[in-house]
Amino acid sequence: MEIATKTGIASDIKTSKKKKRRIFTSANIMLYLMFLPVVIYYIIWAYVPMPGIALAFADFRTGGFKRWVGLENFEFIFSLPFFWKAFANTWIYIGLRYLIGFPAPIIFAILLNELRQQKFKKTVQTISTLPHFLSWVIVSGIWITLLSPSAGFINALRHAIGLEPYFYVAEFRTFPLTFQVISEWKGIGYSSIIYLAALAAIDPEMYESAVLDGAGRLRQIWYITLPGLKPTILVLFVLSFRGILNLFEPLYVFQNSANIKTTEVLDTYIYKVGLVQARYSVSTAMGLFKSTVGLFFTLLANYFSKKVTEDGRGILF
Amino acid sequence: MKPSRQQKIFGVFNIAFFTFIALAMLIPVLFVLSRSFDAMATGLSTLLIPRKFSTFYYRLILTDKGIYRPFLNSMFITMVGTGLAVFLQAMGAYTLAKKDLPGHDFFIWMLIIPMLFGGGLIPSYLLNKALGLIDTYRILIISGLISAWNMFLIRNYYNSIPASLPESARIDGAQEFKVFLSIILPLSKPVIAAIALFEGVSYWNTYMTAVIYINSPEKYPFTVKLRQIISVQEDRRSDMQNLAGQEELLIQYLNNEGLGCAMIILSMIPIIIAYPYLQKYFTKGLMVGSIKG
Repeated sequence: MEIATKTGIASDIKTSKKKKRRIFTSANIMLYLMFLPVVIYYIIWAYVPMPGIALAFADFRTGGFKRWVGLENFEFIFSLPFFWKAFANTWIYIGLRYLIGFPAPIIFAILLNELRQQKFKKTVQTISTLPHFLSWVIVSGIWITLLSPSAGFINALRHAIGLEPYFYVAEFRTFPLTFQVISEWKGIGYSSIIYLAALAAIDPEMYESAVLDGAGRLRQIWYITLPGLKPTILVLFVLSFRGILNLFEPLYVFQNSANIKTTEVLDTYIYKVGLVQARYSVSTAMGLFKSTVGLFFTLLANYFSKKVTEDGRGILF
Repeated sequence: MKPSRQQKIFGVFNIAFFTFIALAMLIPVLFVLSRSFDAMATGLSTLLIPRKFSTFYYRLILTDKGIYRPFLNSMFITMVGTGLAVFLQAMGAYTLAKKDLPGHDFFIWMLIIPMLFGGGLIPSYLLNKALGLIDTYRILIISGLISAWNMFLIRNYYNSIPASLPESARIDGAQEFKVFLSIILPLSKPVIAAIALFEGVSYWNTYMTAVIYINSPEKYPFTVKLRQIISVQEDRRSDMQNLAGQEELLIQYLNNEGLGCAMIILSMIPIIIAYPYLQKYFTKGLMVGSIKG
């Protein structure tokens, strides 16, 4: 879906010419009316909350505004060990996502593309794309059942080969890895669609001439397939920076008292401090910290996207 | 040309690999399916068929208002939300497609700036509280109703429609809204279908908004109810040893697991029904996006 932005969503701004136009013709008024719901929606739910970040510099709780406190909220959150723990945890998941989650669908697509049995290929694709459309609650429900130490399928397999049961969801040390495997189950098929489309666009004659030159499968993959995928890989890599810190749903649904040490990430912590403990200002300060880091990555994505798109335009502007 | 030995080995390895992948993808769902029909859903077993077939958990869901009501809630917000989101975004995208419209650049920036920066959780929460949207179905529909990405996707599709078609209607004196409704919309079925399916799935899967804004159990979408049942089951599990003598609690615990499984299966049904269309239009949606804007 995101590939839509390849050409830059603000691309037509630069091309529109300035000339004298009549603004309120009857056709234009109709067009403005058609856009009015979007404007209202954006003003209320995107722009009105923006000045609310000022709460980060105030003492504001359920009782209402007390006073301005400058940077006190930030000093407070930066002195919280659990805040840094949540920040570090966020990076564990992001790290694993790039280490495993990013290359996995590429490898998946390349290998799937090598399958010569078309029906089998189609079946694998159909089965592997489905979990993408399931919500994280459902996915967590399925996997908590499957990994249950007392009744789960995986521990039944372990039992069958004489291993002790392992409580995958509660073992906080290994949970990030467990989570990454579950993420792959959910997303690998869907993520590979775009790579499969790119693979289909590679000229088959290139493979034919490579075969004539005596190149084996692996060499074909290395010299033809991978270079053919390079532009897609770069664009998707850059796009993946957007919303990089948004991890609320996937982790919140797996949280329990045993794994909280590694499942508490910035997003879930902000929610708990803000709405469970109702410390509005502290939570807003954390949110501001998070969105500043996020903004940095969005701008980075926009900057790099200018280098990797054909027309040199960024994904945003 | 005969494939070399190396290639044959690779081919066999590849088939084995994807057989494993397909099984790994399927087994979790089959396991949950079998558990949802299993009256003896306990103990370590690799069986993928129920040991004692029973529709107990499904009957429980259908008769317990507290469990089937959340499903009805989800259906309601999915239908209303999808309809509204598709109409408003398709209509907004029509205006966005007019590059020469005065104010066009302003609109684009209005949509881009919130992608860079937002108020965050608490300011949004306080706003919705002030608007009286806490604990209402409205907030579940409003949240995520309009997305700039979707509108740009639709706009890109509109731009690929030959300009001569709406032009002829305009000569006949049709208003822009009529051109949109009777010419552009019918010509944009693939992208509209893709967006509708996308919205449908995301409303059906609504979770975070409900966690934040919904307090009354009778307004929960099924996702929140399901999570509740799963976490009760998890908490019990951590002290399973203590349950040894307490038959009643043990039974309740088991019910929760089977119940959770049955809820998971029920919640997957709409997705599975929509899946053939999802496959068809999502791929198309991915493609139309790459048409130059």
